[in-house]
Amino acid sequence: MIPLLVDGVVLGLQFALLAVGLTLIYGLGGILNLAHGHFAVIAGIVTALLISAGVTVPLAALLGILSAGLFALLIDRTLMLPAYRYKGENRLLLGLMLTLGLSLMVTGLLNFRFPQTALSLRLPVVSVEIFGVTVRTASIIVASMSLLAILSLLTFLRRTTLGKAVRSVVQNETGAKLCGIDPKRIRTLIFVLGGLMAGLAGVAQGLFSSVGTELGMELTILALIVATVGGVRSINGTLAAGILLGVVNAFASFYIGAYLTSIILLVIAALTILVRPEGLLGHLA
Amino acid sequence: MIKVEGLEVSYGQTRALWNVSIDVERGEAVAVVGSNGAGKTTLLNAIAGMATPQKGQIFYDGRPLAGLSSHRIVRQGIAYVPAERELFPQMTVLENLELGAYFNPQGKSSLLKFMFTLFPRLEERKRQLAGTLSGGEQQMLAIARGLMSRPKVLLLDEPSTGLAPLLVLEMYRQFHQLREDGLTILVAEQQVPTALSFADRAYVLENGWVRLSGKSKDLLDDPMVQRTYLGVA
Repeated sequence: MIPLLVDGVVLGLQFALLAVGLTLIYGLGGILNLAHGHFAVIAGIVTALLISAGVTVPLAALLGILSAGLFALLIDRTLMLPAYRYKGENRLLLGLMLTLGLSLMVTGLLNFRFPQTALSLRLPVVSVEIFGVTVRTASIIVASMSLLAILSLLTFLRRTTLGKAVRSVVQNETGAKLCGIDPKRIRTLIFVLGGLMAGLAGVAQGLFSSVGTELGMELTILALIVATVGGVRSINGTLAAGILLGVVNAFASFYIGAYLTSIILLVIAALTILVRPEGLLGHLA
Repeated sequence: MIKVEGLEVSYGQTRALWNVSIDVERGEAVAVVGSNGAGKTTLLNAIAGMATPQKGQIFYDGRPLAGLSSHRIVRQGIAYVPAERELFPQMTVLENLELGAYFNPQGKSSLLKFMFTLFPRLEERKRQLAGTLSGGEQQMLAIARGLMSRPKVLLLDEPSTGLAPLLVLEMYRQFHQLREDGLTILVAEQQVPTALSFADRAYVLENGWVRLSGKSKDLLDDPMVQRTYLGVA
């Protein structure tokens, strides 16, 4: 029971990490990034390639995460420009098409260039005992990294002036401009931060199992479900939803099976929209 | 200080402003009056960079402004308080004010103190979310947030809308005070008597045209203005 719960929470933190970027980019830019999971995959693949080239694991992981951020920067400054020119629904739809195209392209390219590459660090399975519960070291590393990243993000958004500027653009873009805030620069910043977070989630995934070229869309869907349950504009909601769904995932796949687990998660997301369209905690960052 | 020349703005097929020219001198208080839909908001939006003119020029201290986006125009020293207020509803009063000083944070705390002497209600509510304030308090917050950018020119769109008469009086007293301190003010108002008793000069807008302009006290005596806007038979 308890080990399962621990697994669930650890998984949930990863979910949250993956979804938080999606949430922020949607809240800020009105773009639902269907290539979000691919940021994670890119980080995973780059890390794997660097490790096989002889780079130490921590450095490779760091560079992998940075590469996801860099990729996000590139996309924000090039591919997304046409979408940013429009507003509201048009921007959302154009953004969907552009990022869907991007996801197909990234998957295709990675399959073509690196068909065999998958990040699987397979850390020596050392387990430690905490309060009578046996926990894998990988779990501890992943959980603390995820938690640290999310808490840093929350602190950044709540305490710093730049973070408040980010929230102001989410809440009222016109108002933000009247304060001299440039929404474009804020959007770029968040696109990159979202990419870095997804990258971290991708590398974390590699610590447990493996990140292959085909995982991108699956991770995007997962992020979408978590963001939906969390109330697609709320950071706290995303964190809560991530942990909830992680625990559900852990229990469901243990007692019921992996295939049905995905369906259960989707059902939860659908029910959220029906019962609490504003998400678990409701309202904005 | 602000010079608008031959401005024309359209929204799709609808022309909102026709060949509008206005002037605001340094330290002056100027009102733009007229009924709903006369084009007052469009004029202020254009100056603040929130509406794109098809024709005409806008100068600020001799430099052209047209084409700059609104976040750059604030940085030049022109603060805009639109009728919709455009606050951040899920942030506290204090956070809203702090963001007003986003690009110019030196001396923020003394400026905050000044805002709280100007609008004591805001200090009482500083930890409250902006979205939970009353209409009048939101209006004060929007004005104070605009002032936090240390503007040289303040653009106000319908500041009296939705406020109790006593509050309107109080607010205009503060505008007077700000003028004394050297602020240039351009205010659009539907409440013509209020606007004319505050401003040095005024422009009367009708269907997107400048119908009349002149010193406020002359306009108060103008038969057309009396008939149309002051309810004098």
